[in-house]
Amino acid sequence: MRTKSRTRTVVIWTAVALVGAVAWGVIALVRGEQISAVWLIAAALGSYAIAYRFYARFIANRVLGVDQTRATPAERLENDIDYQPTDRRVLYGHHFAAIAGAGPLVGPVLAAQMGYLPGTIWIIVGVIFAGAVQDMVTLFFSMRRDGKSLGQMARDEIGPVGGVAALIAVFSIMIILLAVLALVVVNALAQSPWGTFSIAMTIPIAFFMGFYLRVLRPGRVMETTAIGVALLMLAIVAGGWVQDSSLADTFTLSPETLTLCLIGYGFFASVLPVWMLLAPRDYLSTFMKIGTIFLLAIGIVVTLPLMQNEAVTKFASSGEGPVFAGALFPFVFITIACGALSGFHSLIASGTTPKMIEKETQVRFIGYGAMLMESFVAVMAITAASIIDPGLYYAMNAPPGVVGDTVQSASQAVNGLGFAISPGELQSAATAVDEETLVARTGGAPTLAIGMSEIFAGATAASLKAFWYHFAIMFEALFILTTVDAGTRVGRFMLQDTLGNVWKPIGRVSWLPGLWATSAIVVGAWGYFLYTGVTNPLGGINQLFPLFGIANQLLAAVALTLATTLLIKSGRIKWAWITAVPLAWDAAVTLTASYQKVFSDNPKLGFFAQRDSFREARDQGEVLPPAQDLGDMDAVVTNSTVDGILAALFAVLIIVVILDASRVWVKAIRAREPLPTTETEYVPSRIIAPAGLFPTAEERALLAGAGGGTARTGDGRFSRAGDREATRTGGET
Amino acid sequence: MTAKEVVAGVRWYLREVSGESGYDRYVEHMRRDHPDQPVMSRRDYERRRQDMRAENPRARCC
Repeated sequence: MRTKSRTRTVVIWTAVALVGAVAWGVIALVRGEQISAVWLIAAALGSYAIAYRFYARFIANRVLGVDQTRATPAERLENDIDYQPTDRRVLYGHHFAAIAGAGPLVGPVLAAQMGYLPGTIWIIVGVIFAGAVQDMVTLFFSMRRDGKSLGQMARDEIGPVGGVAALIAVFSIMIILLAVLALVVVNALAQSPWGTFSIAMTIPIAFFMGFYLRVLRPGRVMETTAIGVALLMLAIVAGGWVQDSSLADTFTLSPETLTLCLIGYGFFASVLPVWMLLAPRDYLSTFMKIGTIFLLAIGIVVTLPLMQNEAVTKFASSGEGPVFAGALFPFVFITIACGALSGFHSLIASGTTPKMIEKETQVRFIGYGAMLMESFVAVMAITAASIIDPGLYYAMNAPPGVVGDTVQSASQAVNGLGFAISPGELQSAATAVDEETLVARTGGAPTLAIGMSEIFAGATAASLKAFWYHFAIMFEALFILTTVDAGTRVGRFMLQDTLGNVWKPIGRVSWLPGLWATSAIVVGAWGYFLYTGVTNPLGGINQLFPLFGIANQLLAAVALTLATTLLIKSGRIKWAWITAVPLAWDAAVTLTASYQKVFSDNPKLGFFAQRDSFREARDQGEVLPPAQDLGDMDAVVTNSTVDGILAALFAVLIIVVILDASRVWVKAIRAREPLPTTETEYVPSRIIAPAGLFPTAEERALLAGAGGGTARTGDGRFSRAGDREATRTGGET
Repeated sequence: MTAKEVVAGVRWYLREVSGESGYDRYVEHMRRDHPDQPVMSRRDYERRRQDMRAENPRARCC
């Protein structure tokens, strides 16, 4: 019996490995003709399955030593507020919804400038050896410390210097992240009455839902979400009517106006009570996010689109690409952060999730597994960006300074880049989705929306293309706005916490003037970068996205340094390579990128070279294209100075954290035995629950032995047999 | 698995993920661990939960 099931396992995994290998082979070997997107999907899924089954299991069992007999903080400290043992499948949903956002959608679209191959390889290999490892390991270490945050752990384990550096890293990434995401929304909605109307409608819809949940039907989340989604669909359809009506002008807003609207929205949304706007928006955007990702996966499988993009474009080596400057190394690895390795996730993995995890053994499913899912989203995004015509891709993604603002100028510029699209084709692409123009719609969202509308229209009806385009825009803008609101609150919270050490009243969460002042500071900070991005003649995405990537990878360096430190301190130096190798790679990528951004003498790449060339020209009264007047010249000089200083600051922070940590490493290695641990004490667990998605035969037997299936309560209303596969041993139940 | 079980499973999952079942769990938790204390009404419980969320903002990633 045992050998039979073993043989079966070997056969299944050999088959999975074969599928993955064949798919990789097709991707690597087929040249000169278009390949089907299905090969990318197959290569991704095959690789994920092997990595999850073997590598993640090895890390969880051998390196981390997850212990199914040890109680998690959720079990020990259950308080019905934040510490709550949560079913692994439910927690997977929560964790995934918290880590996945616009990042894995936008980054891969921009990185498609290098061709689909470099991005896809990095997304898949990066997640397996770096991103998912970081998420799982951070989750594990935080779980062993009652859910401490990344900043606290950095302070405790590395020292005050590392702790402060981590804090600055977290705060600055928050600001840049919010600015870049808001910029994506501005670029998607500018001059588009349909999109602007639909998104504007989400505010009254959310207010209504908030009121409904607070006053009319407390706690009826599903019912409220269903109403909200119905209203949302109506808002998308109604956007089409507005587009064709006399109201169109009212909702046709310039980028500058939209920026001011977003800054105002960001401020008010973050000072209003959570139940009014944030909570209902969060339900809506989570639902839309997960629903649309599912639809996209089905759409790709149904329509089997062909890749139009080249596997590797000439921009990979020349570094002259119009979307963002710089060569493949390091900039593909900076541009695609979320989806491959995202430092931001370490904040989630050391925040709410470790306080809710039911069993230690589940860190693999939740930490590693949810990140694989996010990586899959990134693969779908690069697919969607690569199935559209490359000429259209460059016309949409090059900054206005390159492609101008008419279809004629864009067609010419695209031809100059070595791709082809006629003015007529550009116009009809815009008309097909009911947009005025698609020229220079940078930021990734419109491009993704075009790709998605092609897939969805292919799977449904061609006449629905405009609807699907605006559906996709809505889906992205919706959860970006939720992130803007939630992120402003988190930033404010950190600011209040820090300033509260200096002056007590400001730390009080309920003191309104303090609340408004700190909110205004946070909104002002990202609003500044947003505004300079929108008005930057060189293109906001072109200038700011690399900074966002660097900041995100800086945070990943902090998390991986912390994990390496903990492995070494606990006497597991022989396993330290698990996090040290991704750390070395991440540091190399991030430091090279910062170095080039600071010191390159190519004005397209280096911020200070850019500043110098524009300043010299300005001082002589000249105007360098794409600037149009001396005001533009001043703007470029100021922006490149600020951006250059930030890039330098990020590099210094990484070096400080790693140096400070290596001091601890040396100390730990010299000590010859493990340094004192900061783990909480072992308490035996009384919960029995499966580790992975499906319970194994052994786990089933254990559950049955403990009265399995009946769960922790006799109350039949919400814990039916088989639903909740966890059970508690001991006399209580 | 019958269709009925699938529907019940989906319903269970959505209730859990959306937090709609949180109140039921709270009531069960109070009855089990603090039988001597009063149990909040659903309205009060949901209010407390929402207001608590304001004090512990959760980040949404990129």
